[in-house]
Amino acid sequence: MTMGYVLLQNLRRNPLRTALTATAFALPMAVFVIAISIVLNLAIMSQDLAKQLRAAVHHRVSFTNFLPEGMRSRIQALDQGKNRLTAVCGMRWFGGRVPGAQNIVQSLAADHDTFPIVYPDVAMSEHEIAEWNRERRACVVGKLIAEQYGWKVGSQFSLQSSIPPYQELEFVCVKIVELSSRQSVMYFRRDYLENSLEALGAGPGGCNVFWIRARDAESLLALQRDIDAAFANSPDETKTEDENAFIAGFIQAAGNIPGLMQMLAVVVVVILGLVGGNTMMMSLRERMAELAVFKAIGFHSLRVFRLVLTESVILAIGGAAAGVIPVWALLNLIPLSVPGRGPSMPLTASWQGAAGSLFIAALIGFAAGLWPAYQAMRLKTVNALRNIGE
Amino acid sequence: MALPLKYHTRYLLVHRATTLLTVLVVAVVVGTFTWMSGFAAALGETLSVAGDPQKMVVVRRGSESEFNSALSMEDFNRLRQLEEIARDPETGEQLLSGEMLVQLQLPRRSDGGKTLANVAVRGLREVGAKVHRDVKIAGRFPGAGQREVIVGAAAARQFVGLEVGKSIALGYGGDRAFQIVGIFTAEGGPLESEIWGNVDTLMNAYNRNGYSSANLLFSTSVDAKALAARLEGPQIQLSGFTESEYWQKQAANIRVYLGFAYALVAFMFAAAVFAIANTMYATVAGRTREIAMLRTIGFRPPHILAGFLLESVLLCLLGGILGCLLCQAWLSMGGAMKDMYGATTFSTLAFVIRLTPMTVLFALLSVCIIGVLGAIFPARRAARIEVVTALRQT
Amino acid sequence: MSAVDIDLRLVRKVYHKGRMNITVLDGLDLSIEGGDFAVIMGPSGSGKSTLLHLVGGLDSPTSGSVRVGDAHLERMSERELTAWRSRHVGFIFQMYHLVPVLTAAQNVELPLLLFRMSSAERRKRVETALEIVGLKDRMDHRPNQLSGGQEQRVAIARAIVTDPDVIVADEPTGDLDAKTSTEILQLLSLLNSEFRKSIIMVTHDPRAAGFGKRLLHLDKGVLERDERHTHPVQPVAV
Ligand SMILES: Nc1ncnc2c1ncn2[C@@H]1O[C@H](COP(=O)(O)OP(=O)(O)OP(=O)(O)O)[C@@H](O)[C@H]1O
Ligand SMILES: [Mg+2]
Repeated sequence: MTMGYVLLQNLRRNPLRTALTATAFALPMAVFVIAISIVLNLAIMSQDLAKQLRAAVHHRVSFTNFLPEGMRSRIQALDQGKNRLTAVCGMRWFGGRVPGAQNIVQSLAADHDTFPIVYPDVAMSEHEIAEWNRERRACVVGKLIAEQYGWKVGSQFSLQSSIPPYQELEFVCVKIVELSSRQSVMYFRRDYLENSLEALGAGPGGCNVFWIRARDAESLLALQRDIDAAFANSPDETKTEDENAFIAGFIQAAGNIPGLMQMLAVVVVVILGLVGGNTMMMSLRERMAELAVFKAIGFHSLRVFRLVLTESVILAIGGAAAGVIPVWALLNLIPLSVPGRGPSMPLTASWQGAAGSLFIAALIGFAAGLWPAYQAMRLKTVNALRNIGE
Repeated sequence: MALPLKYHTRYLLVHRATTLLTVLVVAVVVGTFTWMSGFAAALGETLSVAGDPQKMVVVRRGSESEFNSALSMEDFNRLRQLEEIARDPETGEQLLSGEMLVQLQLPRRSDGGKTLANVAVRGLREVGAKVHRDVKIAGRFPGAGQREVIVGAAAARQFVGLEVGKSIALGYGGDRAFQIVGIFTAEGGPLESEIWGNVDTLMNAYNRNGYSSANLLFSTSVDAKALAARLEGPQIQLSGFTESEYWQKQAANIRVYLGFAYALVAFMFAAAVFAIANTMYATVAGRTREIAMLRTIGFRPPHILAGFLLESVLLCLLGGILGCLLCQAWLSMGGAMKDMYGATTFSTLAFVIRLTPMTVLFALLSVCIIGVLGAIFPARRAARIEVVTALRQT
Repeated sequence: MSAVDIDLRLVRKVYHKGRMNITVLDGLDLSIEGGDFAVIMGPSGSGKSTLLHLVGGLDSPTSGSVRVGDAHLERMSERELTAWRSRHVGFIFQMYHLVPVLTAAQNVELPLLLFRMSSAERRKRVETALEIVGLKDRMDHRPNQLSGGQEQRVAIARAIVTDPDVIVADEPTGDLDAKTSTEILQLLSLLNSEFRKSIIMVTHDPRAAGFGKRLLHLDKGVLERDERHTHPVQPVAV
């Protein structure tokens, strides 16, 4: 027998209480993994995006204002030697909808020549790039959209724009995009869109955003400054934001899901602390005499302190695991996506999320056990024995 | 003969620490829940206020928001022919308002201006104020040809720089100063999140030559569905939605979002039930002999059962009240201002989260349910305690 | 190993309850020879348990000295007292105070966890202790599977497993019937005679008192009577 064994046996003392506490830990902890996974995934995503060194150039007043076509060459002209700027890709919102369907597919027309250069993380193979350049109707589709509508590489479908002049265009899918930040967006060729606009007498259309890609982080900052300076005091004043700042605006306006998740995570931590503390208090109250005997037979106060504290931590980790592991396993089987504007928030389970949750649970168990453990340590053996004897 | 209330309140005091911790668990869960209900209620209220049954929003076919819509002058003239449109009883003026919508980025007050929100700017003429009949203007309507705007009360409250007398920069290049000459309310509806100016002045400032949408009031004798069908028809070829239809659509994504959040809170509610059960089991276990004593002096099992249920509900109500107070404190500390995109627009709906009596009532009711659910099994155990065995027990 | 004697000099114990001072022991002098079996009797509240706690190093006197063997308890810190108790005293209580989730053997093993000792060595000691109290066949039973008398035997085994010098017993038979009481008392006499343990026992039962070699009467913190039994009840081999 070891102290560890004694500890585990202690949890069996009141199985009902242990079960209730574990459940009261498991349920909020399930919420916690979900919340933390979303926050973590977004953090990982924004880290990945920062490495991509992209920035969005849009109209200063609103990105719903169009910037003229010619701006692309003027931006490129700011860095003739291409020492800082890798490429510029103009984009225009299409907002297409499968005819008859309710929801809008986030669809954007992009300059086909520079798209693969500005978005290497979309990971188009040589063959796919060749297809994209050859077929004017080519499009790359985010995995979630493709799954929703059952599209595969080679699928043909048409979308009707939800903005003027509301034209319907036909597309051919050349790639399904797996990249987590691009799973709910679709890109197609802007020359194809411009042709259709001209045919309807609505051209030239212009772009909502020019995405630029820089060679390094320093160049990106410099370019942001230079571009905004170059167009200052013109009708097309620009505002250049790096990709994360641009996305953050959407996330904030779409209800700030990460903010809500952080709030829920804090709430969960508070609840667990209270639940854990309560259980340890109650079990301590019933065990006063026993702990007094531990001390009488020579267990030092610190040992008793450790005993109670460890019990609290084990209970917390055990309970949390009962909530974290099923949710984690479930999310591994069926990855979800949280609805929202802008980038979708993939709710996939990462081992960091699960491990982090268990770690937090351990900390909570520790904190919740501190006060009861301190009381157990301070317990006056003589008094405790007397109270029980009576 | 039921157990007196005092008996229970005294016990809640005896185990102060446990009572306090349990009450706090309930309070935190209820506080979160109340905040979210307040959120849902505020949003629902904002959107349902915009429910003028006689008003119709007309947009270009295929477009689902006024922002993405464009009406040419021919479209608008075709609309004019509709005899279903109501007329001003005094002047006989047709209550049809051609409007233009653009957006403006403004800093939020709630985070000290760190982040920007897209605020809708609507251009209309004075007839618009009659079409949007909920609107009450303090100040004057922007004059024709004048660079003037009025701002909605919600926008004024939530975004920086919208005060009467100040100017904001509008126009395609964001380089024309418009002076704020008034504030308007719309009974708390979504229009209050907007900024209004004269449509001709704004069209000029934004280099536009057509409307975005039209709003109209139709006569009471006209059926909304029939009118919508007529608008869709070959003659006019536009889309019309009654105002409530239009705004309810904007709430679609927010509902999904709230649904998700509610699901998560439901988990915490369940956790609270377990926490209560835990506390109540401990209470019952600690009082076994006492319950046996009560039984010997004549209390019957139903009394004991009811007594413990009551004790638990009392505990939970305490938590519920504390939770509502916590939520209110959070709201008054500045957590009340919220704004969100609609489902199909990229412009913001501003609203204020408030604790309505209904929300509080609902929270307290759910708290009682938590209390009963959590205590039912421990209370049954208490009621079933066998007198003889319990008294012999040490 | 020679038996350990106990010596209390001018022991005062005062409790403070609010502004009130309760003097429980007032200048008590008491010597108990090594290998003695002293029984303390007296009315409720006379300070018997208090005296035991002082001898067992659970509590410290307000003034005066408590010496057990060569340990001066009144000079020891809380920490030192704790360490001393684990080696030199075995406690037996009226309510047994066994850990309900551990088996009899594990309960007995508990104090040994404080020693550097191989598990084989611990096992041997536990078996010996349980053999002495006659419960070797109940090693794997939990307290709730044992009778009151058996529980008290396990508690005695726990008290002797560390091979202490002194055994301190506070009303060890208070909760037991006459026959079981006799068995427990015979066991204590055996520990005293065969294993040379000094024993101090508090009891309200005059019959139990007959098992001791020396009988002390305490009243209001003062030793009233001190008599020596010439023919204590002889232990019967268990
Ligand atoms: N912590 C304390 N604070 C105040 N008074 C105390 C405390 N502990 C004991 N006393 C008092 O000291 C006196 C002696 O108590 P003690 O337990 O030693 O008596 P006892 O002889 O063992 O009685 P019993 O036969 O009932 O066990 C009692 O009057 C008791 O009220
Ligand atoms: Mg006593």
